[in-house]
Amino acid sequence: MSLVSGPGRGGSLTGQLPGDLRLFVDKHVAYIQSLDTRRDELEYWLTEHLRLSGLYWGLTALHLLGRPDALPRAEVLDFVVSCMHDNGGFGAAPGHDAHMLYTVSAVQLLATLDAFSEFEQRVAGGKRSIGQFIASLQNRESGTFAGDEWGETDTRFLYGALNALSLLNLIHLVDVEKAVQYVQACANFDGGYGMSPGAESHAGQVFTCVGALAIVGRLDLIDTDKLGGWLSERQLPNGGLNGRPEKLEDVCYSWWVMSSLAMIGRLHWISSEKLAAFILRCQDPELGGFADRPGDMVDVFHTVFGIAGLSLIRYPGLEEVDPVYCMPKSVTDRVLAR
Amino acid sequence: HGVLRVSEVSKSEQTQQKELRQIEQYRELVDLWQITEQQYTVEVLALTSKLLNKNPEYYTIWNHRRRVLQHLLSPPSGTSSSPPGPVSSSPTPRTTHDLIADDLRFLIPLLRLYPKCYWMWNHRLWLLQQSTDLLPRSAARRLWQEELGLVGRMLTLDSRNFHGWGYRRVVVSALESQTLASTLQSDSTPQNGEEATAQGEQEAGAVSMVEQEFVYTTRMISTNLSNFSAWHNRSKIIPRLLYERCVSSIMRRQLLDDEFELVRRGLWTDPYDQSLWFYHDYLMSIMSPSVPAEAAIVLDLTDEDRRERLRGERDSVEEMLEGAEDCKWIYQALLQCTAQYLGLAVKVKNGDIKHNAPDPEVKNNMRVWLEQLKTLDPLRMGRWDDLHNALQL
Repeated sequence: MSLVSGPGRGGSLTGQLPGDLRLFVDKHVAYIQSLDTRRDELEYWLTEHLRLSGLYWGLTALHLLGRPDALPRAEVLDFVVSCMHDNGGFGAAPGHDAHMLYTVSAVQLLATLDAFSEFEQRVAGGKRSIGQFIASLQNRESGTFAGDEWGETDTRFLYGALNALSLLNLIHLVDVEKAVQYVQACANFDGGYGMSPGAESHAGQVFTCVGALAIVGRLDLIDTDKLGGWLSERQLPNGGLNGRPEKLEDVCYSWWVMSSLAMIGRLHWISSEKLAAFILRCQDPELGGFADRPGDMVDVFHTVFGIAGLSLIRYPGLEEVDPVYCMPKSVTDRVLAR
Repeated sequence: HGVLRVSEVSKSEQTQQKELRQIEQYRELVDLWQITEQQYTVEVLALTSKLLNKNPEYYTIWNHRRRVLQHLLSPPSGTSSSPPGPVSSSPTPRTTHDLIADDLRFLIPLLRLYPKCYWMWNHRLWLLQQSTDLLPRSAARRLWQEELGLVGRMLTLDSRNFHGWGYRRVVVSALESQTLASTLQSDSTPQNGEEATAQGEQEAGAVSMVEQEFVYTTRMISTNLSNFSAWHNRSKIIPRLLYERCVSSIMRRQLLDDEFELVRRGLWTDPYDQSLWFYHDYLMSIMSPSVPAEAAIVLDLTDEDRRERLRGERDSVEEMLEGAEDCKWIYQALLQCTAQYLGLAVKVKNGDIKHNAPDPEVKNNMRVWLEQLKTLDPLRMGRWDDLHNALQL
């Protein structure tokens, strides 16, 4: 069970924060709901290449805010299905090529919507074909995964594959042992992990590697104190977290760093109060949403990771997030039959 | 990331109209692409360029660009793999080279604008792989070599760009491979033991670049001591460097001492520099008995060797406190040195704590350092409390 520093649970966290800092729940809900209506903004069109992931980020944020029905379920499901290709993979939007990233988002969305059986009705053998698409992307020699037929490899795809396959209960389709070996090859002396063997430690890659090991039950391979130490050093004097040494704070690291700390039982190695204050300062109190740091433009990516970060440190009023999957724990408990 | 917020209310009518026009233009391009999707011509290639200039994250367009290039690079139509539609004139080897080289060159400005775009680096790798597969060895090698120059320039612009460093590793690995091994021209006389190929060229073996890459990290560090990524890469290169040099234990020990000296000199100038402490940590941890041989610097360190070096380090680091009593890294390093020295392998794994009790004076020192840490670095209080308990102070 993850631990929280200071008084920790429930309302006492808010007691530590400056009075004007609070979570603008309704604003964030409205912001997420408005995302699909912003067709008069160039940004809407320029981000079509990640639409399905955007939907997963938005829906997850809504669930954590306690508003799971704020997006129309049928339309969301329709959109997910419309992104599917014959080969079992999903693109970011209709007309976009199949890719691991969006396939994973699709599976996470189906799980969150509790829509696997409806999906199977609409696409016979759908789950199996997704599993096969993902499995086909594993390099059976190195154990790692490509994003698509064009061959880019990255531990993000390895994590994504294990995430989706475990939710589909199809993890036996891939060579787990080899995948674990690849993750270990990405380990650095500082306890962290890089995107490929030889790469420097980076909090995003740490999340993917630790998450992958968590999914397959191999957290024992991690040098917990070393990694915990490296992760704790991500907290800067302003309370925010960076992704690696000498870089700027960014609210999305509230997720990559904190979930990793949660998975290895070291959440209490940073200051929750200072982090919470930082995350809250990243909100746009008028229009909703979170930005990477105070004063910048908001987007749904930083919104979900800010909220998920707050959930991890038990900010009151939020649903519990699963640190391994970045999904509501109630969803992963149900899907993984725990 | 990093885009300043502009209040929506303040968007003028003019700005909104401009934005709507931009949307229209962008959507027109996308529509045009969708219409021409089945055509694999240079015109469509140009269309993908326009789209990618507006939106380099539009990964499907990168895919399509490669499909067009694949078609243009493939044998003349009539083979089963060619899709129907207008076909450019059959490519000769020179055209193949130009197609690949032109794309590499053409995309450089876009790479400089978006140096952290995964899709772009990946596309370059694909192009280089095409060169290996389709071009004569020397021509392919030249392209890979040029890429090494490009990534060097990109890393000069931003030495922390991990895309660049990853790319560099792949490029170096390719240049080191047998597939791209250099050949010499046929007008030089064959050396003993080398066979002439059918074309009269000689083949050299694959050549390691580990020495050059080590020197590269040295250069980057001398330009800027606080070059974290360069220190990291140095740490990754050293074990292989030593292996390939086939040096004696004495030389290995010399290198370890030299590296300690290098980082210590930097720390004397700036004890607050995180990159330097990172490398210092690396050097200390690489002496641990649990380090596997393929990662170690010195292969035959005895425990007495380790104790001597750690004693020396502790003394040296303690001296750095003068004038920098508020530097948390120093206290962390002192604790680390001492813990390692005492063989206090502090492992809190599954509830088990392993430790040896230190003598009272050492214990007191550690207590003092830990108290300093708690004062200087309260953000990480939970960690220092755990350390306090684990060290049984």
